[in-house]
Amino acid sequence: MSDKYVIEIKKRPWYEWILWAVWLFLLIFVYQNAVTSGHELEPRAAAIFWVSFVVLALGGGVVWFVRRDK
Amino acid sequence: MSEDGKTKLSRRDFLKLAGLGAAATAVTAVAGSAKPVEASFRGAPFSDPAGRPKRPWWVKTVDQPTTEIDWNIMLRYNERTGTVRGPGMAGYVGPDEVDRLTQAAQRNELQRMLDNVDGYTLKDHALAAAHVGTARSYLGPQKVQTPEDRGVPKWTGSPDEAAKILRAAMRHFGASTVGFIELNDNTRKLIYGVDPDGKDLIFTDELEAYETDDARYIPNSCKYVMVYTVQMSTETMRRCPTQLGSQTTRLAYTRSEIIQASAQEFLRGLGYQGLAESSTNALGISPALGVMAGLGEMSRLNRLITPEFGPMVRVFKVLTDLPVAVDKPIDAGIMEFCKRCKKCAEACPSESLSFLDGPTWETVGDWNNPGHKAYFENAVTCMQYWREQAGTNCGICFAVCPFAKKDKAWVHEWVKAGSAKAPFLVNFFRSMDDAFGYGVQASAEEWWSLDLPEYGIDSNQAVKEI
Repeated sequence: MSDKYVIEIKKRPWYEWILWAVWLFLLIFVYQNAVTSGHELEPRAAAIFWVSFVVLALGGGVVWFVRRDK
Repeated sequence: MSEDGKTKLSRRDFLKLAGLGAAATAVTAVAGSAKPVEASFRGAPFSDPAGRPKRPWWVKTVDQPTTEIDWNIMLRYNERTGTVRGPGMAGYVGPDEVDRLTQAAQRNELQRMLDNVDGYTLKDHALAAAHVGTARSYLGPQKVQTPEDRGVPKWTGSPDEAAKILRAAMRHFGASTVGFIELNDNTRKLIYGVDPDGKDLIFTDELEAYETDDARYIPNSCKYVMVYTVQMSTETMRRCPTQLGSQTTRLAYTRSEIIQASAQEFLRGLGYQGLAESSTNALGISPALGVMAGLGEMSRLNRLITPEFGPMVRVFKVLTDLPVAVDKPIDAGIMEFCKRCKKCAEACPSESLSFLDGPTWETVGDWNNPGHKAYFENAVTCMQYWREQAGTNCGICFAVCPFAKKDKAWVHEWVKAGSAKAPFLVNFFRSMDDAFGYGVQASAEEWWSLDLPEYGIDSNQAVKEI
């Protein structure tokens, strides 16, 4: 058994962080519109924004989960 | 997990969380900065010496309005015979047709009430009939003490100061936005030649305004026009055309009566004259004066659309001899938006609005004042629909306009900015407006269960700035 081992550290590329920032921005944007569309008494707009929010949040979560060890 | 069983954050995780937090803070700050900040209600002093509110970055002041005007063609309008309101309508369709339409309206009104038609029930009628204001008058109530009565000199200040205190007062009385113009040989043509009641409006070198049985005399010194808007409720307007929807404009007019009288008395109290509308929509062409004072732009509705409220305003004016700092017209991309949108024209049940791809010099009828390039409407078919079908005034075109938003959601501001700076996106924005269900008529009965603010309006909409 060798007493040597190698630790490999993979640095995420810069553009990945940008993409996560864009995702977060979109999430906040869609969330704000969903909440305030309800206040504006615009049910259809609110529903579309809420669905978009859920899809966007879940999409981000899935991507993070899949790539968490890469 | 540490050896003693307590959870410990590794340095790596800590840095990750810190990075995420910093990113969230940065993104929120960026998103927040894109949203207009409600500044005036913080109680801060006006940032402009004349009290002009800061407006979103996509609203720019311009020397010439976005509506082309040929002042050589324009004449002072005869509102008595020109408008389809009042006796003017008989001039276009004949008295028999007016009688027929009036009878049809009365018949429909009764039947709808008996049938409990949504928006036409007794309680809707009662609400619409309940707005009782003060009487309008050209010279104002003239009840308050003048500086002379008080034994003091009249108020004096710079034009900026005058505009500032008038803005403060007008907002306090209930106006939403206020702008000023100075009449010259051209803009004087926006003052009617004949008022709705048939009295001539005559400019005179005399110093004091007065009124006779035949005419109203405007001193040449009263060359400053204070133009102001009164916000209307989107929630009732979106229930047009019903009695509930109809009372939206009635409420705005009623409120304006008090605002007008207060403005006239305020000016009198300062030692100046305030000459205003002797009846609804009298004295001058409100949308045109609103355009020149920078309150908004003309539109496919052939009405004023403001950056703050869209078309959800009524526009009024007061002439004064108090010298004020004047304003310039604006370009917020609204006329350009109207070129492509056409949502109001498509929604108009009487097909009275223009479908042209651009504004034209050609008027549709004598109810339009020539001399400006606009989307002229057919006011006669519009009025026929009001009487014969709606039984009230209509307002669908106001309700469906993509600018008629409450502006709570960030997306509205982005759309307005986007369409002002990138007009090629207008078709996309229009499609999204439809897809998101904006402008769809709502149930009048549902309105009676809504917990809405005073007058059904959000006055914060008026004071946003970037």
